[in-house]
Amino acid sequence: MLFNTPIFFFFFVVFIFFYGFVFLRQTPKVYFVLVASLVFYGAWNYKFIPLLVGSAVGDYFLAQAIAAANTIQREKLWLSPSIVMNLGILALFKYADFALSSVADFMGLFGYNPALPTLSWVLPVGISFYTFQSLSYTIDVYRGDMEPRKGLLHFTAALSFFPQLVAGPILRARQILPQFHAIQAPSWTNVKHGFLLVTVGLIKKTGADLLAAPAARAFDSEGSVSLIESWTGVLAFAGQIYGDFSGYSDMAIGLALIIGFQIPLNFRLPYFASSPVDFWRRWHISLSTWLRDYLYIPLGGNRNNHRLRNIFVTMLLGGLWHGAAWTFIAWGAFHGAIITGTHYLSGLKPLAGFNASSSRWTKLLKWGITFYLVMIGWVLFRATSIDGALSLIMDMHTLSGLPTPGEVAGIIFGLTVAGLVLMHLMDRYVLHSA
Amino acid sequence: MSSSTSSSSEAANRRIFGRILLTIIAGMITALVILRFFTDLNDASAETILGRVVEARSALPAIMAEEQNLAIFFSSSMTHAGFSPRMFDRWMAEKGVGIKSFNFGFGGLNPYFQEILSRRIVEAFDAENRKIELLMIEFNPFQTTQIRWNRAKPIVDSFLTMLATDRELFEIAKNDLSRGIRLFTIRYFRNDISAEMITAFFGESLQTMPQESELPEDEAVSERREEILELLDGQLGKDYPDYDGSDWYLPWQGGGTIPLDRILTADIIQLRFEELLVESFIQFVRNFQQISNQVEIILLPANRDWIVNPPEASQRLAVVLERIERETGIKIRNLQDAPEITPDMYGDTTHLGRYTGDLPFAQLLVDELAPVLLGR
Repeated sequence: MLFNTPIFFFFFVVFIFFYGFVFLRQTPKVYFVLVASLVFYGAWNYKFIPLLVGSAVGDYFLAQAIAAANTIQREKLWLSPSIVMNLGILALFKYADFALSSVADFMGLFGYNPALPTLSWVLPVGISFYTFQSLSYTIDVYRGDMEPRKGLLHFTAALSFFPQLVAGPILRARQILPQFHAIQAPSWTNVKHGFLLVTVGLIKKTGADLLAAPAARAFDSEGSVSLIESWTGVLAFAGQIYGDFSGYSDMAIGLALIIGFQIPLNFRLPYFASSPVDFWRRWHISLSTWLRDYLYIPLGGNRNNHRLRNIFVTMLLGGLWHGAAWTFIAWGAFHGAIITGTHYLSGLKPLAGFNASSSRWTKLLKWGITFYLVMIGWVLFRATSIDGALSLIMDMHTLSGLPTPGEVAGIIFGLTVAGLVLMHLMDRYVLHSA
Repeated sequence: MSSSTSSSSEAANRRIFGRILLTIIAGMITALVILRFFTDLNDASAETILGRVVEARSALPAIMAEEQNLAIFFSSSMTHAGFSPRMFDRWMAEKGVGIKSFNFGFGGLNPYFQEILSRRIVEAFDAENRKIELLMIEFNPFQTTQIRWNRAKPIVDSFLTMLATDRELFEIAKNDLSRGIRLFTIRYFRNDISAEMITAFFGESLQTMPQESELPEDEAVSERREEILELLDGQLGKDYPDYDGSDWYLPWQGGGTIPLDRILTADIIQLRFEELLVESFIQFVRNFQQISNQVEIILLPANRDWIVNPPEASQRLAVVLERIERETGIKIRNLQDAPEITPDMYGDTTHLGRYTGDLPFAQLLVDELAPVLLGR
């Protein structure tokens, strides 16, 4: 059940009616949100509801056990099953087939062709989001960053909260759980902002769907494409993934606001970033901060001599989180490389003047370089193979097929750029009005 | 908190949720009204988009009321352009077979849509307990390709709501609630026009994918065709002075209205078949077998000046034909290379020309099928 489908409209109208007029007290409201969220999830595939609820129940009791443990060893003992359970679920459903096929491919390099079985399991919707969310709860309790809350019902309702269940943002328990323990009625100011976000999100999602066609034309082409078509395709994909991801996030935040919950911002004009580091402060903020807090910092963060290695590993795994394919790993590695490169260059004395400069032209140059690198990254992300990605990158840098005025390729390029700009203009408006 | 404070806050909460509900419903109604206004302004409806199908369906009572045995030739625009019912009937009569035939060739309908349409025709005949003496079905290879299906995807839901019954949509909803509600919404709130159909319509010229089978056009050939078209259109006006402009015109028995200058491009050369479309074709043959005494599957002549399939495409076609024969129990009449039909008889790369092609093909069909009917 996607937010931009008619079924969701009917679902949400019924939800608002019961939530606002029938279930007036706190606990029934929580029960109702939980039931509605499970209906929302079950509309896609009810068979995976036990997996979602199981994750919640498991982590709820493990968090209680961690809090009750009186030694660090016991705390670790109770944290381990949570990590194994959440990452195990993710590994089994999302990465098992990829791992098996990669092993088979690797053995093939040495002349062995083992007939390894594949699971071919359906990937449960939202699994990458709710496993990370649930895991963050037990880790926070283990670290002492939050006290475990009593109330399995509240925790399960928070984990399965339908606005953010399918595509994030990835909420921390400390952000959402207290809201379920003291549900507030929405203020009309928040509701208005919620409607604005839902509308902008719907427009961005529609824009993303429209941009999918020119993107597919470049990425799914069997042979080479012209310079203009390759750049159109990459820019279209940049708009498509941004419209899809941030549009859905906007709708999630807006829907939550309409019913009285607050979810933090997930995108902040990412294509205006002035460096790769800045890009990740603006792109999918809930994921980048999750990776920072639960992966980068445990790896050592900035504190040891392996800062660049830690960044690289974090980005590599961040790439893998997006999907089980070598192209996603390559995308993560690429971002790891450009972030570490940025850190390295920022420490070079000859570039100190450039790094510190705040002139308009320097800013423009920094933005241009960052935008270019991010686009190259998207080629790796969207391509169906590494070879396909390299071929398209070549096409992007080969002077051929420049369009004449009025030619269709030029019009599509113009419309694609206009779509991308429009999305950012809407975002600027939303940010200013927030 | 006192009970009066609590009840006043409850009332305030209800007011907010009331406003939320009203805003959502009012917003959705406004969006639908704007959309309806937009589609009406562009004259987009089932009647204008599937006009020939709608007209043919509404002619079914008149067809079933015919006293003579009935023949129907069903399928694509190739049938539409290439089959002359009037001459078919006349030449059949000369062979001693009394029959009244109708042209049910519909451009833009691939086998998936044809299968749904076939259900409506079968229902109508079943309701009147009427049989079709001879049902000719064209198997159109390039209507069954993956490219064709991919191009049709944006219009699938709209065409479904135009062709399917509520019960069929409900069956879809039982398997996929989200899609089912979407289909009912398109049918009852959007005048059968989905957002994808609007986008496909306005963005078609910008989004056309590279075609495998776009063919070069010789300027001299093109000019000559224009001359012939003018001559033939003039003749048409003389032959049918009462033509009312319908897509499916009953006095013509459905024949003879195809625009002649259309060049189809749909993976005609490579023929990479789409499984769903092949399955749909087999199913609609089975549907028609319920109401027909004789069912014939025919491959229409191919314009070999333009369409020459490489061996691997011919192999793919052979596999599909063999499967259709196996699953329907019908031996296919492959007339693709019939010597009676020559390249100059075509109006474009695929369609037989009005007068130049439909008449010789009708004659060919008579020669092929009259003995079958006489032998029954």
